[in-house]
Amino acid sequence: MITGNFYTDASLVILFLPLLGFVINILFGKKLPRQGDWISISAILTTLVLALILFAIMLKNWDYKFSHEVIMPWIDMGAFKIELGFWVDNITIVMLLVVALISSMTHIFSLEYMKGDIRYNRYYAYLGLFTFSMNGIVLANNLMSLYIFWELVGVSSYLLIGHWFEKNSAADASKKAFLTNRVGDIGFFIGIMLMFTAIGSFNFQDVFAGVSDGEIKGNLLTLAGLGLFMGAVGKSSQFPLHIWLPDAMEGPTPVSALMHAATMVAAGVYLTVRLFPIFTPDALVTIAYVGGFTAIFAATIAITQNDIKKVLAYSTVSQLGYMILAVGVGNYTAAFFHLLTHAMFKACLFYGSGSVIHAMHHSLHNLHDHDTDPQDMRNMGGFHKKMPITSTTMTLATLAIAGVPLFSGFLSKDAILAGTLYFVDQNPQHMILAFFGFGAAAITAFYMFRLIFLTFHGEPKMPKVFEGIHESPSLMTAPLVILAALSTYIFYTLPINLIPWKDYGWFTKLIKAKDSVVAGTPSAKEIYDGVHYMHDLALVLSLTVASIGIGLSFLMYYRSTISSKSWAKRFGTFYRLSLNKYYFDEIYNRVFYQPFLKFCNIVAIIDWDLYDKYFINGFGHVTKLLSKVTGQVDYDGLDQTLVDGVGRSAGGLGKGLKNIQTGRLQNYMLFALIGVIIILIVQYSVIL
Amino acid sequence: MSNLESLKFFWPELILSATALIAILSDLIYERKDSHKVSFWAIGGLLLTFITIRLFGGSSINGLFMGTMALDPFSEFFKILIVLSTIIVMLMSFNSSELDGYRKGEYYTIMSIMAFGLVMMTSAIDVLMFYVAIEIVSIMSFFLAGYLKRNPNSNEASLKYVIYGAFSSGVMLYGLSILFGLTGETNFFAIKNAISQLGPDSNLALILSIVFILVGLGYKISAVPFHFWTPDVYEGSPTSITAYLSVAPKAAGFALIIRFFNIAFGSNSAMGSDEWSSLNSLPWPFLIALLSAATMTIGNLVAIQQQSVKRMLAYSSIAHAGYMMMAIPVMSQSGIYGLMIYLFMYMLMNLGAFFVVMYVQDKFDGENFDAFNGLGWKMPLLGISMTLFMVALTGLPPTSGFVGKFYIFAAVIEAGNQYYWLAFVGVINSVVSLYYYIKVVRHMYFEGERSDIVSLPESKLTTSLVLVLALPTFFLGWYFSPLVEWANNSLNFFLGI
Repeated sequence: MITGNFYTDASLVILFLPLLGFVINILFGKKLPRQGDWISISAILTTLVLALILFAIMLKNWDYKFSHEVIMPWIDMGAFKIELGFWVDNITIVMLLVVALISSMTHIFSLEYMKGDIRYNRYYAYLGLFTFSMNGIVLANNLMSLYIFWELVGVSSYLLIGHWFEKNSAADASKKAFLTNRVGDIGFFIGIMLMFTAIGSFNFQDVFAGVSDGEIKGNLLTLAGLGLFMGAVGKSSQFPLHIWLPDAMEGPTPVSALMHAATMVAAGVYLTVRLFPIFTPDALVTIAYVGGFTAIFAATIAITQNDIKKVLAYSTVSQLGYMILAVGVGNYTAAFFHLLTHAMFKACLFYGSGSVIHAMHHSLHNLHDHDTDPQDMRNMGGFHKKMPITSTTMTLATLAIAGVPLFSGFLSKDAILAGTLYFVDQNPQHMILAFFGFGAAAITAFYMFRLIFLTFHGEPKMPKVFEGIHESPSLMTAPLVILAALSTYIFYTLPINLIPWKDYGWFTKLIKAKDSVVAGTPSAKEIYDGVHYMHDLALVLSLTVASIGIGLSFLMYYRSTISSKSWAKRFGTFYRLSLNKYYFDEIYNRVFYQPFLKFCNIVAIIDWDLYDKYFINGFGHVTKLLSKVTGQVDYDGLDQTLVDGVGRSAGGLGKGLKNIQTGRLQNYMLFALIGVIIILIVQYSVIL
Repeated sequence: MSNLESLKFFWPELILSATALIAILSDLIYERKDSHKVSFWAIGGLLLTFITIRLFGGSSINGLFMGTMALDPFSEFFKILIVLSTIIVMLMSFNSSELDGYRKGEYYTIMSIMAFGLVMMTSAIDVLMFYVAIEIVSIMSFFLAGYLKRNPNSNEASLKYVIYGAFSSGVMLYGLSILFGLTGETNFFAIKNAISQLGPDSNLALILSIVFILVGLGYKISAVPFHFWTPDVYEGSPTSITAYLSVAPKAAGFALIIRFFNIAFGSNSAMGSDEWSSLNSLPWPFLIALLSAATMTIGNLVAIQQQSVKRMLAYSSIAHAGYMMMAIPVMSQSGIYGLMIYLFMYMLMNLGAFFVVMYVQDKFDGENFDAFNGLGWKMPLLGISMTLFMVALTGLPPTSGFVGKFYIFAAVIEAGNQYYWLAFVGVINSVVSLYYYIKVVRHMYFEGERSDIVSLPESKLTTSLVLVLALPTFFLGWYFSPLVEWANNSLNFFLGI
């Protein structure tokens, strides 16, 4: 078609088609029928079809070593060379499918959800921009273009979080997201540049080869790895840069599902998965701690949140922590597996919450009630009867995230926990990582069922509102059903395995871990065997903690045998800490923003009040005095003769140059001849 | 190779001459009011030429027509550049109101013949052929500059051009005859062999000949101090022709200078090898470096003073010739392909800038800076494009102009410390040029009325032509490696006979 190679062509089309949709919609969307949403939708559905074809080819070929690279020179200055290109392997293909699938679902879901929005065409345009940039990250074969698309993803996230920028909270949230990401990206850029300086290439394969040849090693390599990891910390919202993701829920809910649950935030995890071979053991331990801590830390916040989307947001942070933990302990295919399963069930949960909010919104709108918060779970309850599809699909997704057998989350979570157990077994001093992992699993099960029980079961808390609740239209429920179906185990273990507690299927067979290129790290085989060895123990433990979490939730919020209020009272300090998100925003405000502003003020005072007012102005005063004294002498003597003389001669030179162009041909030739003579004299003086 | 055998490698030029003939004939058939239709034939012929250049491209054959011409990727690059710019200028001329009231058939005919001469210039390897080609180009330029017969300015421009052209041709011929007297040869390679036999005592005469030849070639690329005709001719000619004169003859002139000086006065045939230097240590590279510095400095300084945008662009094109000349004395492969890249970028942005000037001239009846007041608000497309062209001409990223300058400066720096001063002068001059280029932008956006009524040019052709020039100017600032590769592959021409 374009290049003759199907992989290259397909990736080019997948990459640029959404961009085309963006360009058309942003320029002409308003004038097109239906504001151009059909353009975006047909673009994304085409990419979905192509991604499915790629996926089918991958299954047919059944080759875990498959890879295809295209390199295009961008800047070529001999010694300095930048090449861009694509890297297509099984991980890329799976990731492309995830992005295309969730993005298509979002496009379809938004048809109903965003109906009548004032910037409808812009919304679809930005979705296209996002899909383009996300696919760019996935396809990149080098750090440079990855960084470019990384920033483009940041921009589209900024635009979509701030879609309703008339709301101050949305505008603030978009700024917060962008700036927080910048912090991580600075580290990322330092990491990239360290690599480039040491190895002289941005290409992944060259970087791996360079690291394995020892062109960069020791502490510098750890530093470079941690720098690159900083990018992931920002984008995947890991502690301590996790603060932006919950606020990002100000964006439209389908956007939250697409970007802030399934794909964009997973970019950080994807980055660490791609770059896994270059992380040193020190860097990996740091990564494991950041991930593990984030997992349990965010989970404890999610327990007490009342906003349905906030619960899901913290749950996302926590699950991303899980994936990062898996990378840190060396079991990075499990991280990618969890990325895949999480994308499906978390997107389903977000669409479900969108469906609930949509229904609440309509009901409140009909009651002319503009004060009640449509996202607060304390205003819901018993919705199962009114919205059975939403309720059922969300429950299925919740079972998946809680790690119940027969669901996808069980498989991937189990793999992560087994990996963690193996790591702890090898390095007992890092025992606490296992507690992070299993603790977070228990808490996740607890708060997710809390969400289900509070929203869909029990007595309606606001009967009037409850009256107006109705199931969402089929355009919105269809994605829910599809994604809920994809949250079952069977899609990940086909076609060779139907046993729900064994995870070897196409995924394990086709996505194989690579050995690290850093000396002193365990080989992929050792880790694989270790994980296999720990599998049964992990299975039992994780089932136990999941049942504890679910059971407690059931008793507390379904049966109300245990009063949640009295527990809140009993753990008063902890409850308040969790409810207020450990006061992180406040702490950052105190520790960073305020001192920084104060510092700025001090600098301003020094500059303006001291330096400018006293020194500069003082200088001025002195000069003024001096000039007054010398003025008379100066004016009469120097100025009239010397200064004006220089000015006159400079002006004369400029004019002279211009005046050479007399318009008289005779002069021109004369000048040319004079020029020739001068040149000859110069030339002869050179050789003589 | 005999003349008949050579003909089969001569298709592009044959088609080009057939185009000129068909244009003349068709001009007889069309009525006066339809005379612009001649251009369809001319453009069609040029497109065909373009295709044949590509078809016959890639091979390297020296010594066509008894050793007077060469067919090689180097000339191919310049031929494509010339044919492209001719087509663009012909399209530009469609909407030029200056030409209204004149028979347009001849106009396109003469342009086709001029394109033929330019193409010959790029492939000449014999002194006689190169002189004939230059004269074809010069005489056609005189016609075109004076095309507005009822406009005294145009007449004056033409007359000055003729006399100045005759003067420099005369001096150049004198230089060529000295060279012939010393060597007894007309072929570039033969001249080189003969010169290397000469002792150092003939260096004085050789320098005299080199300087005299440079008068003629310097006049073609308007290098200081042979540039005096440029502002007057550029101002008096129809704007479309000014645009053409500022691009195509310059490209051909540079092709000829590179070929002639590097073959006839270069010491080693292995291009890019370390021993590549000037023959018998003749100081011509230093001479060109000096002229380059003078050219850009004077071009820029005088450009600052101008009130008319057209005249400003005339001086700016002198300055650009200076930047491009920087690449010759470094005598390296990267210098030459830097120059080629620069020329390509320069073609796009300079034609674009002149096109906008032509449009403003037609529409608002003036070519001074004031005529541009508020243009950016009235016609956003033109405003943005003109801003882009100005930024590109200054050489700022992310435009193609930056990439072009970058490659030239990189080549000069690479050549070692003997030319650091030249790079320094170049950088200072780029900074100076920002002043007068941005002045246009200031007038477009910050002076005059800010209008709320927005319009596009009436003619679709104008809009699309602006886009055709502006989009590559922008995107080549981002992705330029195909162009670099092309220029790099077009470098081999030192094959010897």
